[in-house]
Amino acid sequence: MSSLTRRTFLKLVGGVGASFALGTFTVACASPRGADAEALPDKGESFAPTVFLKIDPDGTCTMTISRSDMGQGVRTTFAMLVAEELDADWSKVKVTQAPGNSDVYGGQGTGGSSSTRTMNKTLRQVGAATRAMLVAAAAQQWKVDPSACKTEKGKVLGPSGQTLSYGELTTAAKAIPVPDLKSMKLKDRADYKIIGKATNRVDNTDVVTGKAMFGLDVHVDGMLYAACLRPPSFHGQSQQIDDSAARKVPGVVDVVPISSGVAVIGTNTWACLKGRDALKVDWSNANSGVSSETLRAALKQAVIEHKEMSGAKTLEANFELPYLAHATMEPLNAVADVRADSAEVWSGSQSPDGARDQIAEATGLSPEKVTMHTMILGGGFGRKFSNEWIGEAVNLSKHMKKPVKLLWTRECDMQHDIYRSMSEHALKAAIDAQGNPVGWSHQYLQAPGGGGGGGNYGNRTYLPYDFDNAFMRFGGISAPVPTGPWRSVEHTQIIVANECFVDEIAHAAGQDPFEFRRKHIKGDRLRKVLEMAAEKGNWGKPLPQGSGRGIACFDGYGSCIAHVVEVTVKGNQVKVDRMVAVVDVGTAINPRGVEAQVQGAFVDGISTSLKAAITVEKGGAVQNNWDGYEWARMTDVPKMEVYVADSGGGFGGMGEVGYPSGPPAIANAIFAATGKRVRKFPIKVEELV
Amino acid sequence: MAVFKINVNGQAHSVEAEPDMPVLWVLRDLLGLTGTKYGCGIGECGACAILVDGEDARGCQTPISDIGNKKITTIEGLAKNGLHPLQKAWIEHDVPQCGYCQTGHIMSAAALLQKTPNPTDAQIDEALGSHICRCGTYTRIKEAVKIAAKGGVK
Repeated sequence: MSSLTRRTFLKLVGGVGASFALGTFTVACASPRGADAEALPDKGESFAPTVFLKIDPDGTCTMTISRSDMGQGVRTTFAMLVAEELDADWSKVKVTQAPGNSDVYGGQGTGGSSSTRTMNKTLRQVGAATRAMLVAAAAQQWKVDPSACKTEKGKVLGPSGQTLSYGELTTAAKAIPVPDLKSMKLKDRADYKIIGKATNRVDNTDVVTGKAMFGLDVHVDGMLYAACLRPPSFHGQSQQIDDSAARKVPGVVDVVPISSGVAVIGTNTWACLKGRDALKVDWSNANSGVSSETLRAALKQAVIEHKEMSGAKTLEANFELPYLAHATMEPLNAVADVRADSAEVWSGSQSPDGARDQIAEATGLSPEKVTMHTMILGGGFGRKFSNEWIGEAVNLSKHMKKPVKLLWTRECDMQHDIYRSMSEHALKAAIDAQGNPVGWSHQYLQAPGGGGGGGNYGNRTYLPYDFDNAFMRFGGISAPVPTGPWRSVEHTQIIVANECFVDEIAHAAGQDPFEFRRKHIKGDRLRKVLEMAAEKGNWGKPLPQGSGRGIACFDGYGSCIAHVVEVTVKGNQVKVDRMVAVVDVGTAINPRGVEAQVQGAFVDGISTSLKAAITVEKGGAVQNNWDGYEWARMTDVPKMEVYVADSGGGFGGMGEVGYPSGPPAIANAIFAATGKRVRKFPIKVEELV
Repeated sequence: MAVFKINVNGQAHSVEAEPDMPVLWVLRDLLGLTGTKYGCGIGECGACAILVDGEDARGCQTPISDIGNKKITTIEGLAKNGLHPLQKAWIEHDVPQCGYCQTGHIMSAAALLQKTPNPTDAQIDEALGSHICRCGTYTRIKEAVKIAAKGGVK
């Protein structure tokens, strides 16, 4: 019981707001089979002064990752942060995923590009404190002052050439008191050996061999499978269910009505899918008159008079943006095993700690009886916060008294998403005789499921520019369409409209859109990335007839970015030929990961600028698979050059940063190519004005 | 239900399944080979790509009754020893983001390289252009295919 008697609690600073249990906390393995489980030898001699790091006698350093990895690479960056201050041998670093439990790990919600920003200090302190304990243990053995020792690549080096590896020190280090994490002196940037180094993802080998465990890959002995038929409209309810044919499908075990549809339970997925197709269900639909057209008309009605403004010249423009699905590559799924006195769930969630609480509530069990295994997520983009699919799997397991793996088919996933809202943007600006902006008004009107928002003008304009008399109004209508965050959240709309319109103001002022932005940008960081993007993107150099170059920039999540994009417009076809992005994330932990995020976010930008939209008809989504909701493929993607221009500041966010200025750079390039403006996304050449 | 004798990754298996069950679900649910992914169920995304007698095929569009004596290769059996040159290139070039679509991309790329050891950009586009990577890793995928084609990671 020594591990329990040694258990103490350590207060941590920062935005985490929780305590972390100390002692030899055993981290539950992330899956019943798979690579993570193997990474956790549970030997008595392991040294684990905090829940985030365990060192084994063989020198393996296992970092426990508390936030969810959906492709943004947090399992790699978090490990790098700990390893840096630990002076770990990177080749001996492994990671394991924390189960959902905010009592132990602090808040685990993963979104808003917040993980690195909120956790970097804590993780570096964990590395530094663990290193200090290892040094103290070595110094004791050598009978030297700890300050005379150094550390390097998983070893403590003594003043007279002595060497002890971290693995050799695990037992001795356990006797050293854990220092106050807050008192740890952290390295200066100049001393970083791991942070800032282009590093490959820790999960690559598992991914490319098919061993990586996504939620859908989990197998629990004796489990049943489930798939649902869901209503054609967003809030439809089953009125009458004829399951006679479904129950005759070989392998179908049961048909269970649930609040969101009808579940077919079977011995394999195919039986469930066939059973689902054989169901005959009458659905209610209270919103059969609702469509994208009616919602658009209502949004246009919600536009009011702009704030008064005067100047030598005024200009106005409206922009229309559609609903967007997240369409994560791995559709929603969960495996739930609910028993009388425990519940265990395996799923990819952006809110695993929230999931644990939701499971406890759904089962009536105390949270201590619930284990929420966070699997790696096959994409998130904001979709995997709400956990309703987990609740469904839990209820089905409870009902069937067996473990159940629930799959949301692609059709379920796309037609019952929690969408990025459609929006209407009404903009007006005034410029004086010298072309300086002297008035700006942006009405941002959404059609969310949860209400249309306030409606008053405010001073938060999301403009990084020094425009005078700038106001913004948030408003809109309430729609019977579920909505929620989508990569970059409100910036996917506001910045797109702002940066398109700023381009128009520059032209109205007779100024180059790059020079105009440069002149009016308030912050040095953003100005620098803009200037560098213009340089790298050959701003001002002529392009052939039919091609054009556009620019846009964004400042948010603690980071700055600028895009320069080249397009060619031929007939009704738009081809993106080149993308240059310069990004300043303060200090880039993993430049290779930053490049990946910026490239990936720009592919989102191409997809949502030129292809994808969810349209609503009869109160439901029209598109139900990739054939209708078209996403960029390899042939749509140009050369993408990403330059990481660190300003050396704090660790900025990354996951969201690459999106917002991509689409307006494309739209502005289309103007440069055609002389016509974009008013509607996704862009159709025949709709340019 | 019928019994099908199939060869997967060089191993003989006997599975009891409905004749129309797609190989995707045979592999995942009946054989526990979960490296082949479900992404759309309609042959639009390529996440379920496998090799059938060395040819690129969509696991979700291939009923088990069509297999007969044809040999199935999945990501789990792609490399005879250790890692396939494509897998090595993928790791070294840090291709995956979320990773979910990558095994499908690798299988289609393997079919390509078998026939066309030195593919042009257009040939890579043709072989992989029907896949979707929702994270947008296409640039690195293409580069990794070229690295593997040029003799692989040193």
